[in-house]
Amino acid sequence: MERERLDADVLIVGAGPAGLACALHLARLIRQHNESGCKPELSTEGIYVLEKGRDLGAHQLSGAVLDPRALAELVPEFAKTAPLDTPVNDDAAYFLTASRAWKLPITPPPLRNHGNYIISVSKLAKWLGGLVEQAGVNVFTQFAGAELIHEGEAVAGVITEDKGRDRDGKPKDNFTPGYELRAKITVLAEGPRGSLTKHLVEDKNLGGLNPQVYSMGVKELWEVLPGRIKPGWVAHTLGWPLDSSMYGGGWIYGMQDNRVSLGLVTGLEYHNPRFDPHEAFQRFKTHPFVRRILEGGKLVRYGAKTVPVGGWYSIPRTYLDGCLIIGDSASLLNSQRLKGIHMAIKSGMLAAETIVEALRAGDRSAAKLSVFRRKVDESWIGRELLSVRNFHQSFQHGLWRGLAHTAVQFVTGGRGLVDPMRMKAGYEQYHKLDGAGPAPPRFQGDGVLTFDRLTDVYHSGTRHEEDQPCHLHVLDTNICVNRCVFEYGSPCQYFCPAAVYEMVEEKGGRRLKINFSNCVHCKTCDIADPYQIIDWVPPEGGGGPNYEGM
Amino acid sequence: MKIHVITEQRDGKWNPVSSETLVAAQQIAAAPPGSRVAAVVIGKEVRGLAEEAAANQLAEVLLVEHDLLERYTPDGYAIALRQVVTQTQPDLVLLPHTYQVRDYAPKLAASLGKGMIADCVGYRPEKDRIVFVRQMFQGKTAADVSFTGVPPWFVSFQAGAFRGDQVARGASAAPITAIKVDLQAEQIRTKPLELFREAKQAVDLTQAPILVAIGRGIKAPENIPLAEKLAKLMGGELAASRPICDEGWLPMDRQIGSSGQTVAPKLYLALGISGAIQHVVGMKGSRTIVAINKDQNAPIFEVADYGIVADIFELIPALTEVLEKK
Repeated sequence: MERERLDADVLIVGAGPAGLACALHLARLIRQHNESGCKPELSTEGIYVLEKGRDLGAHQLSGAVLDPRALAELVPEFAKTAPLDTPVNDDAAYFLTASRAWKLPITPPPLRNHGNYIISVSKLAKWLGGLVEQAGVNVFTQFAGAELIHEGEAVAGVITEDKGRDRDGKPKDNFTPGYELRAKITVLAEGPRGSLTKHLVEDKNLGGLNPQVYSMGVKELWEVLPGRIKPGWVAHTLGWPLDSSMYGGGWIYGMQDNRVSLGLVTGLEYHNPRFDPHEAFQRFKTHPFVRRILEGGKLVRYGAKTVPVGGWYSIPRTYLDGCLIIGDSASLLNSQRLKGIHMAIKSGMLAAETIVEALRAGDRSAAKLSVFRRKVDESWIGRELLSVRNFHQSFQHGLWRGLAHTAVQFVTGGRGLVDPMRMKAGYEQYHKLDGAGPAPPRFQGDGVLTFDRLTDVYHSGTRHEEDQPCHLHVLDTNICVNRCVFEYGSPCQYFCPAAVYEMVEEKGGRRLKINFSNCVHCKTCDIADPYQIIDWVPPEGGGGPNYEGM
Repeated sequence: MKIHVITEQRDGKWNPVSSETLVAAQQIAAAPPGSRVAAVVIGKEVRGLAEEAAANQLAEVLLVEHDLLERYTPDGYAIALRQVVTQTQPDLVLLPHTYQVRDYAPKLAASLGKGMIADCVGYRPEKDRIVFVRQMFQGKTAADVSFTGVPPWFVSFQAGAFRGDQVARGASAAPITAIKVDLQAEQIRTKPLELFREAKQAVDLTQAPILVAIGRGIKAPENIPLAEKLAKLMGGELAASRPICDEGWLPMDRQIGSSGQTVAPKLYLALGISGAIQHVVGMKGSRTIVAINKDQNAPIFEVADYGIVADIFELIPALTEVLEKK
């Protein structure tokens, strides 16, 4: 097909903290370079940012507690204009049993958050995006990177998704083929499990020592009765409703105007294939400790998103000819501190520095761009990630052994008892079912404190053009109906926090029904499907959740 | 520079976007010295229109008449206009970016081995060329495009890119030159039928006083006629929740809810609809809601004025029977 072509110097895929920080810093460095009179002259007009969301920030979801370290480097005067919501003034960690909450006598150092801010990462992205546009960079919202363009060994840009195809893939009246965006350097800042990054890492065998492992966070934003929670109060929980074999925990953050951000993060490496992370979060809210805060309040927004928690040993090769991988896509997240936004921003800045040097030299080879990885390692990102390099892996045999390992790692600077500690991919950790016993009844919710998934999806503001091809490619649905049902009891029905997957019983047998228009773009299915046959590809741009203010 | 504007008319009536394109031509012609603008009027018995066009400030009006041009066909227009372009040798051919132009203009340009810059929103004269501006990324950015190679060059302008009321009138009427074109009936491979306007919506559920809506509880497409019959007897329309339309059992324009229509009929009969919030937001304004569902915990009962916990396959025939007796 003939496509319209546009040539860029730098193409950044994804307008999250990493991509936007990269664009903003790049624009600044280019200005400085031009002012210095050095040749060749560079232009900010050659920088493009692609974002699949309807608006800037629409697909940004996190807790979020921000360590402002990197933001201060990117925007020194950030405190004046950034949407910071609430400074953290009190933090605590709790261990939950089904009915009790035990406060840990001291808050473990990684969970101490003084000096940090409770923020909406969606608002942060919107604000950063505004600065990026002011700096003269083009940000194209509602456009996704559908496929990478290769030139020999090099990555040479992306093709954006076709618009205006009907459910069978046939062009409609408004059909517009995707653009061919050629770039000297393509930066993949797609967040966790980026659809382009995933295939690039697979095809070019870029994976780190360990495969990437993920957790999934289910979040609700509530407005509660006055006095129920102090703005600036940050609580993290371990234990119930997760059992001690599982990795994860809850969070409750008090924000301005009686708003509460709360959620549950579950490691996508649990054994029971019928475990339902959304249901676990709903149960979490019924714990007296949580219920007390929420009672009388109301649900405002809902969302779910995956988190890469593999850390240091899961970092893929981040540099190729003509391409860099940054932020969550590059595993730059401290799973012990539950923080990645600061590293996303910092990695974007380091990528920008690398790119300007490459453009100046007219050299976009992997060798030239490998400077990026060296910069990461030598920066505080490297030091921070090295010190927790075995943290997540320690929990693969349960909470108690994990905590013991963590203590040893803490005093040995991250080395611990085994270094490097290896880890299997999460989808390999399911235990098979003994035949397909009857499925447990699904969680309903009381409609006041707890909700079913469809009601929650409604509160995510998710919308897709309905008449378009399904963007969740299941490569072989025979596996779903002939094997998965019996071996694992169709976990897609349980792990998806948006009720996308349904195994329907019909006269002729079973059939997998995919309600793609519910999809909140969390990528859990692509990650957690035991046969790895689900391929999440971007739907028509603009579709998806609306996390404004989340 | 010789600029030709291909105007558009149907049944002797102007497509008003034609004068926008004339304005574009007049403005472009203002810069390079010695430029002249001609308007091309094409059709059957369109001299009257050509005379109207001649009132504008133009060097000439080219009248292209042929019996086979009475109704628009892509073949007829492309073949006739190719002859016009070959005979008159313009440098620049401007067209309004209409559906018709989208249909034949690429064919016309390609038949002459030329490129076309389509759907432009403006232009910018530069020293030795004209740069045309077209939008990309849904209008977020604009691309400058210009021609390489020798004329003629084809350009179409988006509706609204120029103001039609700014067209300059001539001091005296422009001369009209008739151009003879050779066109054979067998060259035209399509036959236009009656024009019709597609009804925007086959049904307008928002106007129906009574709606009978079905959900997953209907189970199979074979069961839909049951509900359809009931709707007919009640004097209402058939509607559905998303899963039904998603399966293709009913067309999308019958879908009620956040991704479908919002309705507020006098009576809303919900058959086998669970009442997910996505559906409820589209119908909760109904005056009276009657819900029938097997599951007594179905959330639809929270918005229903009357709720019946029953199997719809028992109730629909019963209701139908009662209504048939009346």
